Amino acid sequence: MVGPAATLTPLARADGSASYQCPSTGSNILGSVNAPVELPGRRDALKPEEATVEVFVKPGTAPAGVGERYVEGIIKGVLGRLILGRERGYPRRGVVVTLATVGGDSVGRGDSYLTLLPALLHTALLALLSASVPLSMTFSATVLAVSDSGEIIREPSTEQAAAAKSLHVLAFSSKGHLLLNESQGAFDFETWEKVHQRALAICHGTSAIGSDGDVAMVEDVDGQPLEGTIRETIEDQVHRDYAWKIDAV
Amino acid sequence: MASAAPSVPPSLTLPPSQFARLQPHAYLLAHLSPPASSNQPSIRANGRATSQFRVTSANTGSLTHTNGSAVVRVGDTTAVCGVRAEILPTDDIASWSVSHSSSSMNKRRKLTNPAQKPTQEEEDPEDETHIQQLNLLVPNLSLSTGCAPGFIPGAPPSALAQSLSHQILNLLHSTRLVRAEDLRIWYQPPSLGQEDLERHNESEQMDVDAERGEEVGKDKEIKAFWVLYIDIMIISLAGNPFDAAWAAVLAALRDTKLPRAWWDVDNEMVVCSDAVSESRKLSLRGLPVASSFCVFEADAAAGWRAVIIPDAEEEREIEESARKGIQRRWILADPDGYEEGLTQERVCIVVDKEEGTGKTVIVKMEKNGGWAVDGKELKALVDISAQRWGEVKHILEQC
Amino acid sequence: MNKEAPLSITERDFILNALREDVRLDGREADQLRPLKVSFGEEYGHVKVQLGRTSLIVRISAEVTKPHDDRPFDGLFTIAMELTAMGSPAWDNGRQGDLETYVTNVLDRVVRHSNALDTESLCILKGVSCWSIRADVHVTDYDGNLIDAACIGIMAGLQHFRRQDAVVKDGQVIVYGLDERVPVALNITHKPLSVTFHTFDEGKRVIIDATRKEEQASEADVVIGINNAGDVCFVSKFSGSPVDAMVFVDKTSVALEKVKEINAIIDKALQADLSKRAKNGMAEQSRAENDR
Repeated sequence: MVGPAATLTPLARADGSASYQCPSTGSNILGSVNAPVELPGRRDALKPEEATVEVFVKPGTAPAGVGERYVEGIIKGVLGRLILGRERGYPRRGVVVTLATVGGDSVGRGDSYLTLLPALLHTALLALLSASVPLSMTFSATVLAVSDSGEIIREPSTEQAAAAKSLHVLAFSSKGHLLLNESQGAFDFETWEKVHQRALAICHGTSAIGSDGDVAMVEDVDGQPLEGTIRETIEDQVHRDYAWKIDAV
Repeated sequence: MASAAPSVPPSLTLPPSQFARLQPHAYLLAHLSPPASSNQPSIRANGRATSQFRVTSANTGSLTHTNGSAVVRVGDTTAVCGVRAEILPTDDIASWSVSHSSSSMNKRRKLTNPAQKPTQEEEDPEDETHIQQLNLLVPNLSLSTGCAPGFIPGAPPSALAQSLSHQILNLLHSTRLVRAEDLRIWYQPPSLGQEDLERHNESEQMDVDAERGEEVGKDKEIKAFWVLYIDIMIISLAGNPFDAAWAAVLAALRDTKLPRAWWDVDNEMVVCSDAVSESRKLSLRGLPVASSFCVFEADAAAGWRAVIIPDAEEEREIEESARKGIQRRWILADPDGYEEGLTQERVCIVVDKEEGTGKTVIVKMEKNGGWAVDGKELKALVDISAQRWGEVKHILEQC
Repeated sequence: MNKEAPLSITERDFILNALREDVRLDGREADQLRPLKVSFGEEYGHVKVQLGRTSLIVRISAEVTKPHDDRPFDGLFTIAMELTAMGSPAWDNGRQGDLETYVTNVLDRVVRHSNALDTESLCILKGVSCWSIRADVHVTDYDGNLIDAACIGIMAGLQHFRRQDAVVKDGQVIVYGLDERVPVALNITHKPLSVTFHTFDEGKRVIIDATRKEEQASEADVVIGINNAGDVCFVSKFSGSPVDAMVFVDKTSVALEKVKEINAIIDKALQADLSKRAKNGMAEQSRAENDR
């Protein structure tokens, strides 16, 4: 499986930015973060003790609608728990996250945003890292579809997702906690447990779920865990940023 | 209870209501973990047990100008839902006369195909694609002025209202609650020579169930659709709007009656019958019921303090040891506004039960905003939601 | 924060004094463009424009809709531009600022009202169905001259875009997928582009393609929309101090020269992209041709 391709800080004006290309859906998300910024227009909404997180999702080829507001709420929920909004300089300020779909299909009205959600989440995380916003942890997310025959498909295409019986997005923190779960479509709890296990393997590799016979096979299918991909992207960036220092040593 | 908290100086006594405002977190914590010496049970500040839902009541058919309506009260949260059906002629649908030659969209053409006749019980593959592609269900939720402090008149729909609208729409689509067949208005051209007979038949064939023979299905044509405008107003918001809104939608749709409608060839328009006896109810698929939960953490700073967060594995061990001693977090069912303000992590589970087998089917499961709820906790919550399903079913069947 | 951080007085003076000596901060001539790069994405109508440090992405999309009742023979064409905090921290998400209104208005006039895209060719079935073409402009970096950059992006996108083929068969419109029939290019009647001038020093100095700092230091701006043939389709002097009428006359020829230069760059990029596609998709295209 081809891993996602990500670039940190492709933009000049925003405080932090990231571009993320998801191989399976073909979607390309560009994200920017401005933090900490003043939000004078929303003085009433500002919190006296911590930062206000704002997320804006802009679809590629359609006007934004209720679906975007909903997915913004989900992303805000995850990031709100991640961003250390009480660190110095952040209270009463805003952390503005802007995500635009600049390639690939857009989501129609009333359609599920779930297939795009992991890409949006990863872009937001990388953009936050690029903007050096203090975070309590990182995470990785994946989307899985369960087909009519009960087969679990990793990162389904739009058609596969439409035909699937149920669709699940799971995000795990770098420490292995289940941070986010969004499941829709008919399923029972046993199915979800299988999905959960598979998702954990995708995000964290198989070491996290112990070592019985089946597990080794799973690793071959899924390749490098996502957590590693995210980590490598950041390591590369840090390497580049500190090239002067490393060379000097 | 108030005096049990450490933050209040002994000389000064405060009534509980003021303490609740000044130190909301400590107040709720003091209720949930009373000092061992007091011998009091752990209870929420609103007097409920952790997995107890608020008193729920439902009333249907109270709005006369709608096709179906319902009022659902969950504690102090009240949702009113009205369903209004409008006719959408296929001539007005831009994409109606358009077919995509490639695979997926071909189905629409098949409709006019003699071989295809809609069957009711079979899972019709294009069933919900019509509803979704043509937007036949239009839910809109508004948080009305004054439903809770902070909702001022004249403001555009808040992000909360918009995202709730979307959640309802999404759930309507993913549960396939409404059958597209119920929303279709057909036309059966009379065959020549049998004018009288067909006239007689015409009244029947509008019975969309298509129980009639093959030769009738021949040139049947969809002339229009019913579009259901589902308007939900939260007139009082005291936490957990989604459960109440969804229950109201469900009750209103169960109450919805559509008049008999047919295509009038002479006037080239859809005509409805005004006889109440001829109208029919929607036949819904299942009865999905939503249950929401929130997680209250004993450590008020858990959400923001820059500490090293333990690994999931370590956390489980800590959890085990905590079981003997002090509990650190509580999962509260059906949170009220006060509790919602003190918690970050949310769980929403929508379950249905298969008819006959009674097997629990999860149709939506969401958790966000924290890491306290993992697989084990979710399993317990699904069981609580399944119980709640029974209660809500009972309430909806009563009204 | 709806305003960019203002220039300091010394910065403003520096820019002005340099211009009086015919020097620009980045060493350009008064009527020299910043390096322009136009590139295309995988999809049809996906354009990335990089003009100096201003960059944006334009996506063109098409869908079948019902035409307006009063114009049953016309298709629809909309330009959607929403400025987000991505382009500049000064822009608020979800709120329309003055700049957004102004730029959208100019783009509408230069591209849409000049009928660059023949909307009548978008009609499929009179009064029943037509194509609706939508151009979404995503501004990713803002460093001045948004109008020209967006104009270049939209025009390049319209020329690059291919819509699905649609055929009317017994009152039924059949849309063929991109892989079934060779997609159709849009009917472009002419290629207008805008050139924005900024004036300084009581109208004595006029420069094109100003950066953000130059824009802030300028007195007024003049936008001229013109096509390759030299037909002027838009002239505006929107705000700021008065400008001598001769500026419009003189600068129209400069604008024409620049538009020719830009269109050549677009054409070159289009050709390069087409030949790349031809190489990749030779087999598929010929198959579709046979099906016909």
